Amino acid sequence: MLRFILRRLSYLVPVWVGISLVAFILASLTPGDPARLALQRELGRQPTAEETAAAREQMGLDDPAPVRYARWVGDALTGDLGTSYRTGKPVLASLAERFPTTLQISGLGLALAVALALPLGMLAAVYRRGPIDHASRILALLGASMPSYWVAYLLILLLSVRLGWLPVAGSTTWRHAIMPALTLGIGGSASLMRLTRAEMLETLGQDYIRTARAKGLTQRTMIVRHALRNVMIPISTVLGMRFAGMLGGAVIVETIFAWPGIGKLVVDAIFDRDYPMIQGFVIFMGTVFLVINLIVDIGYGLIDPRIRLTGR
Amino acid sequence: MAQQTAATSPLRLPQREAARLDDAWRPKRFAAFRAVVRDRSAVFGLVILAGVTLMALAANLIAPYDPTALDPTSNLAGSSREHWLGTDNLGRDIFSRLVHGARWTLGAAGLAAAGIVILGVTIGIVAGYAGGLLDDLLMRVVDVLLAFPSMILALAVVGMLGPSLTNVLIGMVAVWWVDYARVVRGLTLRVVQNDYVLSAHCCGCGRRRMILRHILPNVIPSVIVLATLELGALMLAISGLSFLGLGAQPPTPEWGTMLSDGRLFFLNAPQLMMYPGVAITLVVLGCNLLGDGLRDALDPRQRVR
Amino acid sequence: MRGIKARQIDRRALLRVAGATGVSAALLRPVVAGAAQEAPSGSARVGVSEDGYRTDERANVGFYPLNTGIFESLVHLTPDYQIEPLLAEAWELVAPSTWRITLRQGVIFHDGSVFDAKAVKYTMDRIAANGGGVMGIGEESTVIVDDHTVEITPTYVNMRLMQQIGHPNNSILPEGLNPAEQRIGTGPFREVEYVAGDHYTVAANPDYWGEDAAGVGEITFRFYPDPTSRLLALQAGDVDLIIDVPRQSASQVEAVGATLRTGPVGAYEAMYVNINGAEPYDLGGDPAVREAISMAIDRQQIIDSAWQGFAEPGTTMIPPAILGDSASLVSAPELDVEGAKQVLEAAGWVAGDGDVRAKDGRELKLTIINGYGTAADHGSVPELLQAQLKAIGVNVEIVQTPDTATYEQRLAVGEGDLWLEAGSQNDGNPCFLPDLLFSSPVEGGDPESTMYGRAFAPGEAFDTAITAAREAEEVSDVQKAAAEAMNVVINEERVVIPLCGFYRIIGASSAVAGFDLHASGVNQRWTSLTLNG
Repeated sequence: MLRFILRRLSYLVPVWVGISLVAFILASLTPGDPARLALQRELGRQPTAEETAAAREQMGLDDPAPVRYARWVGDALTGDLGTSYRTGKPVLASLAERFPTTLQISGLGLALAVALALPLGMLAAVYRRGPIDHASRILALLGASMPSYWVAYLLILLLSVRLGWLPVAGSTTWRHAIMPALTLGIGGSASLMRLTRAEMLETLGQDYIRTARAKGLTQRTMIVRHALRNVMIPISTVLGMRFAGMLGGAVIVETIFAWPGIGKLVVDAIFDRDYPMIQGFVIFMGTVFLVINLIVDIGYGLIDPRIRLTGR
Repeated sequence: MAQQTAATSPLRLPQREAARLDDAWRPKRFAAFRAVVRDRSAVFGLVILAGVTLMALAANLIAPYDPTALDPTSNLAGSSREHWLGTDNLGRDIFSRLVHGARWTLGAAGLAAAGIVILGVTIGIVAGYAGGLLDDLLMRVVDVLLAFPSMILALAVVGMLGPSLTNVLIGMVAVWWVDYARVVRGLTLRVVQNDYVLSAHCCGCGRRRMILRHILPNVIPSVIVLATLELGALMLAISGLSFLGLGAQPPTPEWGTMLSDGRLFFLNAPQLMMYPGVAITLVVLGCNLLGDGLRDALDPRQRVR
Repeated sequence: MRGIKARQIDRRALLRVAGATGVSAALLRPVVAGAAQEAPSGSARVGVSEDGYRTDERANVGFYPLNTGIFESLVHLTPDYQIEPLLAEAWELVAPSTWRITLRQGVIFHDGSVFDAKAVKYTMDRIAANGGGVMGIGEESTVIVDDHTVEITPTYVNMRLMQQIGHPNNSILPEGLNPAEQRIGTGPFREVEYVAGDHYTVAANPDYWGEDAAGVGEITFRFYPDPTSRLLALQAGDVDLIIDVPRQSASQVEAVGATLRTGPVGAYEAMYVNINGAEPYDLGGDPAVREAISMAIDRQQIIDSAWQGFAEPGTTMIPPAILGDSASLVSAPELDVEGAKQVLEAAGWVAGDGDVRAKDGRELKLTIINGYGTAADHGSVPELLQAQLKAIGVNVEIVQTPDTATYEQRLAVGEGDLWLEAGSQNDGNPCFLPDLLFSSPVEGGDPESTMYGRAFAPGEAFDTAITAAREAEEVSDVQKAAAEAMNVVINEERVVIPLCGFYRIIGASSAVAGFDLHASGVNQRWTSLTLNG
C-alpha cells in the first residue's frame, strides 16, 4: 500500500509542474503591461513612462520567460503567490482564508445531494418502471437541466420571501449555508441518482441477492444489508468528482448568496483585473484538485485491491 | 455550471464510460439507432433540439420583431396579441429576442462543441496513431488539464483575456477537449491493433488513407454521442458565465444574458427572468434526454430496465 | 452582471475630489462640545452593496466606500455640496499655499483619547505616505502649531484644499491607528463588529461631541453584492433599508411593498466627443458632427427607457447644486432632430445609400466606447444612443470595455469617437473634474489629465475659465468661473454631451421612520436614520 501511495505521489510531480506552467502561461496572455497595471493600482493614477520602466526592471519583467517561470515557481513553492492588486494582501493568504468557506457549502451540498439521490435512486430501482421511478427520473433530469443561478432565485423566492424560513443571503450562521448548498446539491444529485439506480438494478439482479431473497430475507433487510453496501462503492468513487464540480459551481452561487468564498473572490478578481489573484487561483485550485484526486485514488485503492496492483 | 457540468455529463468519468461506449458501439451500431428511436424520451429530446435548431436557423422568419428594435412606448408589458411573451425594459419583444437568442445560445454551445471535438479528435488520433514519445507527451498534457474542473480554467482564461463570449468559448475549448482526446486515443489504439487494420497496413495502405478510412469512421460515432451528452452542460456553463457578466455582453440576446438583465425587473415583470430560464432548461433537457437515450442504447449494462 | 456599483464610480470620485473657498460663518452648525446624549434605542439593518474595504497600507475600513459613521473628517459636505465645520472649527489661508486650521476642542475618540493636532498630523502624514492624493499632501506639509492648530502646506498652491479635505477618505484617525486592525474614530457611531464581506455593526456613541448624534441604538450594514438578492432581502424582511438600488429597477422597491426614496442629484452620466483623434477616429473633429449629435440626443427618452424615469435630464456633468446660482449659466443644447439633420446636410454630410450619411465617399460612422465606471453603470443607454443617432443618419458601433482599466488603455491611444462616462461628485470642488478632463495637456503633467486632454481639450477659452475657477478665493467666483468653463465644453465646443443627472435611490420598509438621503453616498450621515416605535 505504501508503495502504491508513493507511486501515486511521484506521478503528481510532473502534473503539478504542468499546472504551474498553465498558470504561468495564462498570466502571460494578459493584455497590457503588468507593471503599468500594478503601478496604476498602487498609485491610484496613471504612472509615467519612467515609473513603468523602473517597475518593469524591479519586477524582472524583461528577463527571459524561463527565468521568470523558475522564479515564479520558486516563490510559489515557498508559499509566495504574489500580492493582490486589489487588496494589497498576499494572494495565498486570501485564497487560504476563503477556501474553507467554499468547502462548507460544497461539502454540505454534496451531503444534500447524496441524501437526496441515494434513497430516491434505490426506490426507483426497487419499484422499477413504477411511478416513483418515473417521477425521480423526471426530477433528476430537471435538476440537471436548470441553470443554477435560476434555481437560486427560485429558492430565495420560495424559502425566504414566501415562507420566511431562511435568510436571503449572508454567511454568519449555518442557516445561511442551506440555500447555497441546496442550489449546488440539486444540480449534483441528478447524476448520482441515476448512478444509484443503475448500480442498484445490477446488484438486485445478482445471484447472491436472489439467494438472499430465496432465503426469505425481507426486502428491507436485503436492501439495507446487502444492496446498499454494494451501491455505496461505485457511488463513493464518483463523489470526489462531484465535489470538484461543486467547487467550480460555487462561483455563481456565492455571488448570488453573498457567500464570501473563493468563487466570489475570483469573480471579483476578474472584474478588477487582479491578475496575481487569478493566477494564484489557478495554481491553488489545480493543487487542491490534485490532492482530492490523490485521496480518491488512495481511497479507491483501499476499497479495491486490484487498482493498487495494476496501477491505473 | 460546473456542478451541472459534472452532473449532466456522466461522461466526465472518462475511462469508465468510454470503455462502455466502445464495447457497446461497434457490433450494435444499427441496433442502437433503433433503440434510440424506440425510446420515447430520447425522441422527445431530439424533437426539442431539432425544433430549437430550426427556430435558430429561421429566426428572421419566425421572430415577429427585430430583437434589438426599441419601443419605448411599451416597456415591461405583459403578454398580448402584439407581444406574445411581453416586452422587456426597453420595449423589445421578448419572443423575438428568445428566437434570435437561440442562435447565440445554441450557436455558442455548438461552436464550442465543434472546437472541442476537432481538437480532441485530432489530438486523440495523433496520440494513438503516432504512439511513443509524442503520445506520452500529449497524454501528460491531458493529465494536467484533467486536474482542473472545466469551470476553473475557463474562468481563468476569461479572467486573463477579459470578459467576452469569444474568450468564454476559448476557455471552454481549451479545457474540455481532453476527455475526447482520451476517448479517441483509446479507440484509435484499438483500431490500429485490429487485425484487419494491421493487414491493411501491411498491404501498403497509406497513413492518410488509414486515418480517413479506418480510424475516423470508428471514432466519429462515439464522439457524436459524447458531444450530444455534453452539449447541455456546455450550454449551462456558457450561459452561467454570461449570467455573471463574463460572457456574452448586452444587447446580445443570449439567454443567460437575458436572464441576468431580467432579474432586475423580476417582480414587476417576472416574464423577463422566467422565459429565458425555461428556454435554457428545455433545451438542456432536450440534450440530456437525447444523450441519455443514446447512451442507454449503446450501453448494455444500463439498458436493463 | 453586477448592477450599478458605487465602488466603481467612486474610484473616479476619489481621484477627483473637489475644492472651493472660504466658508461663511452662517454655515457653522451650533454644536455643544462634549454633551452626552440620551441613548437612542432600536437596531436598524441596512442592505448595502459589495464590501469594498481594503486592508493594505491604505486601509479604509469603516470610512470608504461605505462610511459607517465611525470616523469623521475635518469638514463636512452638505447635501448641496457646500462645506461646513466638523472636526475643524475654522480655517484661513495664511500664506500663498498654507492653510491654518483651528481644531475643535473637547472631542474625544471612542477609546477616550483626546482629538488634537497630533491626530491630524498622523492622518495627513499617512495620506502623504500613500502618495498625497489630489490634495498634494507631502511628508512635510503638516505642521503642528499648538495642540489645537495645524498648518497644512500642500506641495502645490492648492486653493481648493478645504473642499477636498472633507472627503471621508481623509477621515481623522487617532495617532498610530491602523484601520485595517482597529476602528476608533470620533463619529456618532462606534464599531461593534466587522465581518469582512458579510456585515458591519456599529452602535450609537453615547459620548458623541456634537448634536447630530445617532438616532438608533445600533445599525448593522449587511453586504449584498447582487442587487436582486439585496431587493429580496428587503422583501423578506432581512433588512429595513437598502441603498444602491439599481435605477432601472427602482420601481421594484414598491413592488415588494417598501417605500422608495430619492435624494438630490450627486452623480452624472455624459458622453465626451474625441475632437483630436486620428483616422478613423477623427470625425469628432468636425464641429458640425458634434453639433448635430448634441441636438439629436433625446434625454427624456433615455431617462424613461433606460432608467425607467429615475434620473433627471443632465445639463452639466457635475451636480448643478455645486455651481450655486451660477448653475443657470449652463444649459444643454435642446433636442432638435430636424435641426441636427440640417446641420449635417449643410456641412456636406448627405444621405447616401441606405440611412447612413456620407461625405466625399466616407460614411458617417462613429464608435461609442462604454466602460466608465463599468459598462453596467450605463444599462441600456448605449443602445438608445445608437438608435437616436441612427435617426439623423449616423451609424454608431458600440464597443464595451470590460472594466475601467481597459477603457483607459483605449482612451490613451484615442481609439474611439464617443466616450460614455458616469461619475459622482463627493466633495465641494466644482472645477476639479472639468480641469482634469478638458484642460490642454502640459509637458510633464498628470498622466490621466494628459490622456483626457489629448482627446478632449477644446483649447484656450476653456483653459482660461478653468484656471480662474481653480485660483479664485470666493465661493461665488469659483462657481461662476466653473460654470463658464462648463459652458465652453457643453455649448460652444460641444465636446461634452450631458445625458443624465443621477440621484441616489433607497428602499425603506415601514420600520424606517426617517432618513435624509445625501446626494453623495460616501458623505451619508447615518445619524438621520430613525425607526418607528
